[in-house]
This record gives sequence, structure tokens and C-alpha cells, in this order.
Amino acid sequence: MLEAKNIHFCINNKPIVDQVSIHLKPGEMTVLLGPNGAGKSTLFRLLSGELLCKQGMVRYNGISISGLKPKELAHLRAVMPQHSTMTFPFQAIEVVMLGLVLSKKKYPSNTVEEVMKATHTWELKNQLYGNLSGGEKQRVQLARVLCQIWDIKSFPRYLLLDEPTSSMDIAQQHHILEIIGQLKHRNIGILAILHDLNLAANYADNAVLLKNGTVIKQGPIRKVMTAENLQRNFDYPIHVETDGPAAPIYVSSLPPNKKSSYTTNFKFA
Amino acid sequence: MIQNLVYSKMQHQNLVLSILGLGMVMLAVFSLSIGAFSIPFSNAISILLQQLGIVSGSYTVQETNVLLQIRFPRVLLAMLVGGGLGISGAALQGLFRNPLVEPGLIGVSSGGALFAVVFIVFGASFPWITGLFGSFSLPLFAFVGGLINVLLVYKMANYGGKTDISLLILAGVALTALSSALIGLAIFYADEAAIRNFTFWSLGDVGGANWNKVKIAFLLILAPSCWIMLQYRNLNALALGENEAFHMGVNVQKVKYIVLFMSALVVGVGVSMTGTIGFVGLIVPHLIRLSFGADHRLVLSGAFLLGACLLTGADLLARTLVMPAEMPIGIITAIIGSPFFIWLIINVKKIRT
Repeated sequence: MLEAKNIHFCINNKPIVDQVSIHLKPGEMTVLLGPNGAGKSTLFRLLSGELLCKQGMVRYNGISISGLKPKELAHLRAVMPQHSTMTFPFQAIEVVMLGLVLSKKKYPSNTVEEVMKATHTWELKNQLYGNLSGGEKQRVQLARVLCQIWDIKSFPRYLLLDEPTSSMDIAQQHHILEIIGQLKHRNIGILAILHDLNLAANYADNAVLLKNGTVIKQGPIRKVMTAENLQRNFDYPIHVETDGPAAPIYVSSLPPNKKSSYTTNFKFA
Repeated sequence: MIQNLVYSKMQHQNLVLSILGLGMVMLAVFSLSIGAFSIPFSNAISILLQQLGIVSGSYTVQETNVLLQIRFPRVLLAMLVGGGLGISGAALQGLFRNPLVEPGLIGVSSGGALFAVVFIVFGASFPWITGLFGSFSLPLFAFVGGLINVLLVYKMANYGGKTDISLLILAGVALTALSSALIGLAIFYADEAAIRNFTFWSLGDVGGANWNKVKIAFLLILAPSCWIMLQYRNLNALALGENEAFHMGVNVQKVKYIVLFMSALVVGVGVSMTGTIGFVGLIVPHLIRLSFGADHRLVLSGAFLLGACLLTGADLLARTLVMPAEMPIGIITAIIGSPFFIWLIINVKKIRT
């Protein structure tokens, strides 16, 4: 289990992440939702080990993150940041193979090919990364990240994704989230920051709502992603519709001056 | 499929490296026979073979002396210093994730030169230094100077894991200007015997080569260069960014220090022996990247070999163009390098993709 206990992070004495406790179980997907500036990315970076918190602790499978070397940490989790730029003219396949930088094997296993085919990047393999479109770059980066944890291991591992599908078209978004969802069967726990509430509602098992650095709600997706909670989280009228516990969830919102034909109990604060 | 792809890529890289290596050796032999005192090709090879115990052909004693005492150490020194400048340029560009970085531009060379001059001028007042390090004192002093500047530039240009390109260049310009001014000041106070001339430190010269210098260069340039070469996987990962490299399991701090220290050592030692030679560290990695791709496995080793070729060639031109006089080698590298740098600035957007 990946757990964070009472973590706290300040920049210039202003708390960005304030007394947050969350946990991530292998085999489950959790989404981190919240308005801009809620502290999502900072929390994400604290969990990935990029930032170290001054109070509280982050533990991977019971081991404190400060006691793990970068190499050991890389075996336990893979991270996809929001933006990655490439300075030098690397080919797409070279970027993906960087995910295996830890393995000292001379020739990589079939992992690279498998992952690139799954993420629809195999046909881009010989193109220069810099010449790809935004969505293609994102898929190549995701392929790189997936390479790091693709091979099945006995111990639980984690995948942290910061807006992994933000530049993709709708079909690619579903395709990629489907692949990410399948990783759950490999004893991997997934944490994703998503801005598309519909994708979040229909792919994740759990949700964490973050606002002003604190968790205002967390738990199973259908309990957390209610109209009331989301409205409180984003300060905006949001509608959530579903036809039952197994049926899809529809999340929608309208421009402020348009009246919804649905009934809603939302009042502007 | 993937095995074949990777295998053919490595084959291709090995081929490129072999060709560069072969070119370097041929250029060196060619360079040995040409000069103010011309030694026929066959004689040059015979003299070298004789050193290995194989007796063949005929040659004069004078030819042997010129070749073994003057030209051979000079060519070897040019190769080592050029190779060192090439690989440290490639490694620093990789570390700063910036194609405009060059040991000369970010102040490593001038820092090395400053400390070398300071040691030459004031070293006699501190005999214990020479007592402790012997003939290594000067190169090690130059290393410290280069290291101070590279660390300062790094601290000034870096925040939050990102390197600001304009700050980097500005810091480099400022430190280079300060170092040059201080070199001028030190030389102003030095007597004629203590120091040869200002041209040596600003434009470089391989002419002062001897076997003692070559031995030190083998130890303090080749060994750190090999250590840098071993970092190729880590530098590849760093091309994505420091955070990404950390996510993939690279100990970023360790790699940073290895590259900064080893580059400062390689450049500092080179500068203490040949003065500051500009632009080699800038052009060479780019030529390799533009022609053969950005994989550091090839870029680092290739930059060493091509840097060695370039400086050997530049030295050949420097001592043959105005025969029997010699030109400072830095003039040749600057004449080739400056237009290339201007081209690079104009095209930097394309290269940064």
C-alpha cells in the first residue's frame, strides 16, 4: 500500500498541502480531483518522492520514502509528470526505451514493443520526438512510463499520473484509460490527476477531492462524486446523473447564464 | 523485432565510432610527417614501429629526434586535449539540457586558465604545494579554478530543477570576463620569466608539449573522460528533465557531481597545458548529434574521437599555414567555431525540439 499520513508542505509559510492523509491500494485506481491551485500537483510530487515533506510521512509498502534510494523507488513506482520536454533530437522509440534505463540488460525484452503497440505509438517509433503532435508526445511519454512497471512482479507497485490524457482526443483518452485500468490486474495501484470528471467517474474506483490543500472528501467513487460534493469542491453548479449502482455516471455542467432543464438543489454561495 | 532494431542501432553506432577512431589514427600519422621539418610518411611509420621493437626501413637520427621528442608528444597532447574538450562539451550540454553550453562559454576554461596563471605567478611563494603534488600542481590548480566557475554558473542558472538559458550564458560571460581581467592583472605583475605570454592563455598553443605533460594528460584527461562515458544512460535519462530522470531511478545529484567535477578536471588540465582553446566543445557534440542522433552512448565517445580529430587537424593547420612560424591554435578553432555558433543561435529553436 502507498500511504501518506498527515503530510504537510509549505511554500513561503503558506500551506500548499495541509495535513493530508490518503492511501492507495494495489489493484485500485484513485483519481485526485480539485480546482486549480488546490495542491494536487504538490501532493502528487510529495507522493512521487520529488519533494520531501517536512511533516508527516509517505510510505511505500510500509517503507518510509526517505529511506528509499532513487533506484529502489523506481522499482516500486512509475511517474508521468504533466509536461516533459526533450532537448535533443531523440527518436520516439529511444524515449520509450529510457523507461528501462534501470535494467542493465544489453537488449531490452519485448516490453518496449508490447507497450508501444498497446499505446498506438509503435508506428511513430522512428520519428523524432520533437516533431510529434501534443497527443502523440503524451502517448510516447506514457509508453515510457509504462515500460518501467510493465513486467509482472510479485510485490505491489504504483503508477502516478498527472493529467495523462490532457492533450489526447476523446477516442485516445478512452483507449489509454482502458490500458491504464488493465494494469490493476498486475497488482498495481494507480493514482491519476484528471480534469475530465466524466472520465474520472467512469474509470476510477476511488476519488479524493482536494481543496485549498486539504482533503474535503475521499472514498469510493459513487459516494464521493455526488453533485453536492463536486459543487462544493469546484464552487460551480455540476450535475451528476446515474441510473443505478452499476450504470454509467454522467457529469455535466452548463455556462453560468444558462438554466438547466434538470432540477437541482444547488444554491450559489 | 525490437532486438533486431536495437542490435542494428548498436551496430551502426559501433561502425561510426570505429570510423572516427580510424580517422583519428590516420590524421595523427599524417600530422606526424608534415611540418616545418618534413618527415616522409614511410619513415614516420618506421620510427614508430622501431619504438615497438619492429625494425624496418631507414631514417635519420634527426628525423627520429624531431618525431619522438617534438611532434609525437605534440600530436598526442592535441588529441587528448581535443578529445577532453569534445566530451566535456557533450556531457555539459547533456547535463544543462542545453545545446549552447560549452566549456569556454560557461567559464570553465577561463577559470582554469586564471588559476593556472595564479599558480605560475605566485606558486613559487608556496613551495609546499609543489612539494605535495609535484608536476601535478599546475593541472590540479587549473582544475580547481574550472570547478569553482562551473559550480558558480550552475548555482546561478539553476532553480527548481530547471536551467535558465539566458542566466547561464550571462553568468558564463560575466565569469569569463572577470577571469580574463584577473589573468591580465596577474600577468601585469608577473616577470617575463614567470609567464610566457597572454596569447597563450587566451588563444591556446599546443607547441609546449613534452612527454611529461602527455603522461599527466593520459592520467587526468583520459581516465575522467572514460568515467564520463560510463554516464551515458544517466545523461540520456536527464535529457527528459531532472525530475523525470529521478522518477526513472537515476541518482540525479550523483550524476551531476560526476559530470561537473570530471568536466572541470578534463578542461582544467587541458587548459593548464595548452591555454584556452574555444569552440571545440561546442561544435563537436553538435556535429555528432546532427549526423548520428542524440543517444549519449554515441555522442560522448564520438565527441571524444571527433574532438581529438578536430584539434589535431587545427594544430596541423596552425603549424603549416604560416610555416616556419606558428599560429595560435585558438585562431583556427575560432575561425571554424564562431560562424558555427552564429548558425546555432539562429537555428536554436529547430535544435531544441
